[in-house]
Amino acid sequence: MILRYTFQRLLMLIPVSFSISVVIFMIVYLLPGDPIDNLLRVGSSAEDRAELVARYGLDRSLVVQYFVWIGNMFQGEFGQAIVLRRPVADLIAQNLPYSLTLGGLAFLFSSTVGMALGTVSAIVRHPVLDRFMRGFILLGSTVPGFWLALLLILLFSVNLGWFPVSGAGGWQSLVLPVLTIGFGGVALVARVTRVALLDAQREDFVTLLHAKGLSSGTILFRHLMPHALLPVVTILALRIGWILGGAVTVEFVFGRPGLGSLLIRALGQRDYPVVQACLLMLALAVMLGTLIGDVAQASMDPRIREKKS
Amino acid sequence: MRYSTKTQLLTGSAIVAAGFLFSPHAIAQDVTVAFSASELGATAYNPVAASNLNTATSLIYDRLVEQDADQSYHPHLATAWEETPDGMAWTFTLLDGVTFHDDTPFNAAAVQTWIASYAGTENEYLVEAIASVDVVDDLTVRFNMERPEPNLLYNLASAFMGVPSPTAYAELGEDFGVTAAVGTGPYELQSFEIGLETVLVRNEDYTWGSDLSENTGPGHIETFTFREIPDQSTAFLELRTGGIDLLLGVPTDFLAILEAEANIQIIQMPGTGISYMPINVTAPPFDDILVRQATGMAIDQDSIVAAVYGGVGAPARNFLISSLPEANVNPDLNVRYDPAKAGELLDEAGWAMGDDGVRVKDGKQLSVDLFTANSTEFTRLTQVVQAQLAEIGMEATITVFDSSTIRDEYRRNAHQLAVRAYDWNNSDILDWFFSGNRVGYPNVSMWEDEEGQRLNDIAMTESATAAERVANFTAYHEYVLSQHLFVPIYQPTQNIAFNGEAISVPDPVRGSRFRGQSFMDIQVTE
Repeated sequence: MILRYTFQRLLMLIPVSFSISVVIFMIVYLLPGDPIDNLLRVGSSAEDRAELVARYGLDRSLVVQYFVWIGNMFQGEFGQAIVLRRPVADLIAQNLPYSLTLGGLAFLFSSTVGMALGTVSAIVRHPVLDRFMRGFILLGSTVPGFWLALLLILLFSVNLGWFPVSGAGGWQSLVLPVLTIGFGGVALVARVTRVALLDAQREDFVTLLHAKGLSSGTILFRHLMPHALLPVVTILALRIGWILGGAVTVEFVFGRPGLGSLLIRALGQRDYPVVQACLLMLALAVMLGTLIGDVAQASMDPRIREKKS
Repeated sequence: MRYSTKTQLLTGSAIVAAGFLFSPHAIAQDVTVAFSASELGATAYNPVAASNLNTATSLIYDRLVEQDADQSYHPHLATAWEETPDGMAWTFTLLDGVTFHDDTPFNAAAVQTWIASYAGTENEYLVEAIASVDVVDDLTVRFNMERPEPNLLYNLASAFMGVPSPTAYAELGEDFGVTAAVGTGPYELQSFEIGLETVLVRNEDYTWGSDLSENTGPGHIETFTFREIPDQSTAFLELRTGGIDLLLGVPTDFLAILEAEANIQIIQMPGTGISYMPINVTAPPFDDILVRQATGMAIDQDSIVAAVYGGVGAPARNFLISSLPEANVNPDLNVRYDPAKAGELLDEAGWAMGDDGVRVKDGKQLSVDLFTANSTEFTRLTQVVQAQLAEIGMEATITVFDSSTIRDEYRRNAHQLAVRAYDWNNSDILDWFFSGNRVGYPNVSMWEDEEGQRLNDIAMTESATAAERVANFTAYHEYVLSQHLFVPIYQPTQNIAFNGEAISVPDPVRGSRFRGQSFMDIQVTE
């Protein structure tokens, strides 16, 4: 049953991917400016410009350019970066591990710490803890990443000297970036977990479980958690897309390479093949995240797969 | 308790021992450098094919000639050169005993192969005036020219004309400059991670530094680690905490903060560009030369240097940096602040001062658009320019674009005034920004003029010698100034900050930029 549901969801991804590829391709070309300006040098003539435009196939119609591009994508050929002058696949391969490490760790951190904090705040009903949690959640949702990053650098690197200010050498250089990105995620996951658990505690079946004499621990972990996890899984699944591209400002402040930084640089220079490849990867990551979320939800709750299939 | 004391003692001793092990003497020969923001993102150390090269390139590769801060040329891999009187041939004598990092010899054949390797690349323009290269003998090479090119030495001193090993270049193909980079320079590429860091190690055989360095080799420092730190605040904190020793390209805004730090020293050297305000001569009211002249006289360059840049840098009076000989134009043509005269000129052009402080002509107010690109420095400067224009009764509305979008706006002829900057230490920048062949962008002034184009063509293609080129470009520059196509504003400095407790840096800096020749003289502080 779950396999059939997964297959159906995968099939749906085909038209979605196609639409996304068209949108990505068009958006890049609709932007004012082009990459050729970044290749011209003092002394370049109008003929030089025309020659460059032709060399990169930018003089062909948009439809032709789209099909050439999507055809290459199907063959796993990302093309050559126009301004950065390297194979796009190489550029992505160099940046992806940094994004995956940072994003993956931040995801792990925010999901585990967020769920733990949310659970504690839902169970331990203390007004001080409650206020602290609400304050923490508010801060986590609103503090801008770059500001938090600088604050953490000042405290842990400049004043205490525990971690390096920036760079990507060794685990020490990961601590502050993971904390910075994870902070917002922790707050979000904690809030969702807390609300979901509080809601679940008010359900009739919980009263029944208590009446049957089950311990609070058993009720929480065996009955409440699976019930409350549904919205948490949805939130976490949506954040999978962020693993790849959601760390741009943090990468910038901490001087780390990454897919987000590559995308921003390529966007500034209108390096079309790089922008398109990065956007496509981010879109696929978001789609994959949503798919994982849907399948996880369906496997946890039979009603979902019955309703949707 | 006793155990705890013992542990503490042991830990303390270990820390002290580690302190000695990692004292400045132990790590002394490693220096970490942060690139300036403008040179981030290089994807290959390949002078022949790359579009973007950073400072580390100048340590891996040597050039035939070097350019000093006064724009004069100095021998390096070429010990002497001679140009025929008609400019149709150049003969270079090469330095003896030079080898590439792969132990292959640097000689005339290597130069011949290297020049040929530019064919078909986007950097071919650097050598397009060279028709062929003859190997006269092992250490003499002759460039036969398609046309006279008095700018040849400038091109040869460019970072894009570092000489790579022909053997390695042929072997590595597209990976040259990425997996390995082989030149004759004082440092060899040890590792390169795009977007993160480049590690260079000393070339122990190097003895052929140019006369722009005190030390001709080998370098004093064993290892240079170049890091890419995009955020200036982070780079500053790295410098302050000893994470880096040297920070290239410090923005003027940061100077005051850095100067307050006890361990940080700053070196300023003349800049290689100017900030200016091009005027669109096709957009009314700037189709009237009197309005353009008045606009130039409204800008108080001295007060901008003092107020916006804290007195660092110099006012710009014409289109070229002061160290170029072509900047020495007839002083009457230099643009200077004179609001009274500006008022008179606007009166003469029919723009009378209105009650609200904005001038009016034929019922129309003197309201104009002022474009700029989205960087903090530009935005601040543009706001001051806006205020100064208001003083002469011109109301300017600022619009900020990203750097790619603004070029499209120029091409659409949607602009009137713009605040922008260029970085180029050669007078051919006049051709780039004012040639009638590039109206829109880069000719943001949208200027098409028969006499202007004639003078441009003479300067660009009919100068046989360097002296002729200076005279021709000066004449073209003076004509451009007489047409009031732009307002010069500011000549920035190049700023370098370093940890004075860790290293010493040559001051004054030789060379047009802080690159290879200056790194040769960096030493660890005893």
